Amino acid sequence: MTSIAFKPFTGLRRSSVLPCPNPTTTTTLSKPVVKFHVSAARTSPKLSNRNLRVAVIGGGPAGGAAAETLAKGGIETFLIERKLDNCKPCGGAIPLCMVGEFDLPLDIIDRRVTKMKMISPSNIAVDIGQTLKPHEYIGMVRREVLDAYLRDRAKDNGANVINGLFLKMDMPKSWDDPFVLHYTEYDGKQGAVGSKSTLEVDAVIGADGANSRVAKAINAGDYDYAIAFQERIKIPDDKMVYYENLAEMYVGDDVSPDFYGWVFPKCDHVAVGTGTVTHKSDIKKFQLATRNRAKDKILGGKIIRVEAHPIPEHPRPRRLSGRVALVGDAAGYVTKCSGEGIYFAAKSGRMCAEAIVEGSQNGKKMVDEGDLRKYLEKWDKTYWPTYKVLDVLQKVFYRSNPAREAFVEMCADEYVQKMTFDSYLYKTVAPGNPLEDLKLAVNTIGSLVRANALRKEMERLNV
Amino acid sequence: MSISMASFSPPPPPPPPPFSSVRPQFTHSSSLFLPFKRPFLLQSTPKSLPDNGAGVSPSVAAIEDPKQKDPLLRNPVEDSAGSNGAAMSMASAAEVEVLSKFEDPRWIGGTWDLKQFQKDGTTNWDAVIDAEVRRRKWLQDNPETTSNDDPVVFDTSIIPWWAWMKRFHLPEAELLNGRAAMIGFFMAYLVDSLTGVGLVDQMGNFFCKTLLFVAVVGVLLIRKNEDLDNIKKLIEETTFYDKQWQATWQDDNNGSGNS
Repeated sequence: MTSIAFKPFTGLRRSSVLPCPNPTTTTTLSKPVVKFHVSAARTSPKLSNRNLRVAVIGGGPAGGAAAETLAKGGIETFLIERKLDNCKPCGGAIPLCMVGEFDLPLDIIDRRVTKMKMISPSNIAVDIGQTLKPHEYIGMVRREVLDAYLRDRAKDNGANVINGLFLKMDMPKSWDDPFVLHYTEYDGKQGAVGSKSTLEVDAVIGADGANSRVAKAINAGDYDYAIAFQERIKIPDDKMVYYENLAEMYVGDDVSPDFYGWVFPKCDHVAVGTGTVTHKSDIKKFQLATRNRAKDKILGGKIIRVEAHPIPEHPRPRRLSGRVALVGDAAGYVTKCSGEGIYFAAKSGRMCAEAIVEGSQNGKKMVDEGDLRKYLEKWDKTYWPTYKVLDVLQKVFYRSNPAREAFVEMCADEYVQKMTFDSYLYKTVAPGNPLEDLKLAVNTIGSLVRANALRKEMERLNV
Repeated sequence: MSISMASFSPPPPPPPPPFSSVRPQFTHSSSLFLPFKRPFLLQSTPKSLPDNGAGVSPSVAAIEDPKQKDPLLRNPVEDSAGSNGAAMSMASAAEVEVLSKFEDPRWIGGTWDLKQFQKDGTTNWDAVIDAEVRRRKWLQDNPETTSNDDPVVFDTSIIPWWAWMKRFHLPEAELLNGRAAMIGFFMAYLVDSLTGVGLVDQMGNFFCKTLLFVAVVGVLLIRKNEDLDNIKKLIEETTFYDKQWQATWQDDNNGSGNS
């Protein structure tokens, strides 16, 4: 995995007549309201008598957000989604900042989680959430509701939403040629089979999720992925009261060797699940263990749905090729440690679309790979610290049972809770108080040492 | 493991429904947990759309049940769950004998009652550590459910730091210091015999001081044979994620558009 050979880039760059593009675009960094200074590539040819055409493959949060931004920017947008009422298996948690940044109406949110319980392998339970202010919460949404809302908003802004399944795409032979997308359109007239259609576009955004076909088409490479397995359980009302605004996280070797098990409240039921990267074949065993750990609290519940989905563990080796860019799960933008993906999918879709709008001067000029690279640059620069910190946390605290015990012990600390929630809810790695950081470091090491010492004694008991 | 499951004789099941998905139900009557474990019918993706054929999809992936709204399915599974208890006694890591909750006279209210650990008027912290070790070992082999009425609130930081030091740090420190002393003596003798530089003069020499530093670090870091490999793996691990993120920029070095 450490050495990846890349195909040389030929055929997708412009002919040598034109000098290499050095767009003089300037961007302001991401704030909730983004202002553009649009001075696009001087060397890009102007499109005569039409606007730039961009296709967004996949209508989840990434696709919906991308399509909306493109359409608002004056670009002819086509959003291709294979199942408009798709009820995606998903944790469904969105951070507070997403509501503001994407202007989500509050009725989309089924539940506001304001308390979390972390449960260690030896069942030590720690409540976190006391540091949350009254207006702060983690929103639980139903994916079908959120996805539909974003798509409809894109449609209202002028995007063409096509109910179809993307099959493959023909790469352009020369720089000016369009991409030809082949898809099966379900327009109701042909019944379930659908009819084959093609579409010519100038650029493509691949937002089609973990098993992305667009990624395959551009040889983006593979990634490691985790399997998340979840059961939706309808529990009796008196037990549901406990989960009114509380979510639980279970850690332990029995529940998952490298991830966590969870009980998340949904609109009128709970989702109990777990995940793993390294021991995928044992996922059912882990699920049973998770249910066992929560047994008393979900007793009398009825399983109404079983679902599983892959979660990317890291970005694909190649997220961009020519005028095709990947966003969301297709690019692999899921954080480690918490496995959060909805916000990053929507944000990356929006960022990519913004880069296209800007590079094409609101659809007047042809874009180029360099313009799309700007999205990658901005993304990496803005969110790399977040991803790295979560990666370190996962490596340190999900290693072994002692590490998990230490993790839960650390979570009891108020400073930790405040830092965690601040960075989760607002997606910034906030620099904390250095003195508190030092205390935190000392306490972490103390917890780890104690837990490991206990584990050594445990092993000695065995022998 | 949970062979005791067989001793409970559940009612014989109706024939399993012909659908490829299953929904077991927790029964109110028994507080027992009956694992459902249908033999992996879930693996056949019921969807007719070929969208999950792409390379990365694992065998268990995308088990979305399109028939979940079908009301027929909810009921017939109610009884069939019971039968599987006997058959499916294997596999589950969750051992659920009714009597298997962790019990100890000194474990009260979700934490250790320190009053019961008194010895000569002061708390016997070693015994507390031993008790906690035994509890964790028990739970590791028999994971238990958490419950709201009976939460576990024990925190290892109530055990004072010197108790940990005495029990864990000091023996290891003795071991490592012993190793360092042996290595030190031998190396000092060797260097002296080879170069004639005495111990006091060695301490003044930069090269010897470097050797000393390397020896100390080595004794600290490499305590078992496996540590050598572990350290190498750790170093690789710290930079692996970064490499994965940088991968998309690697191929740009060949192209002309360098951003």
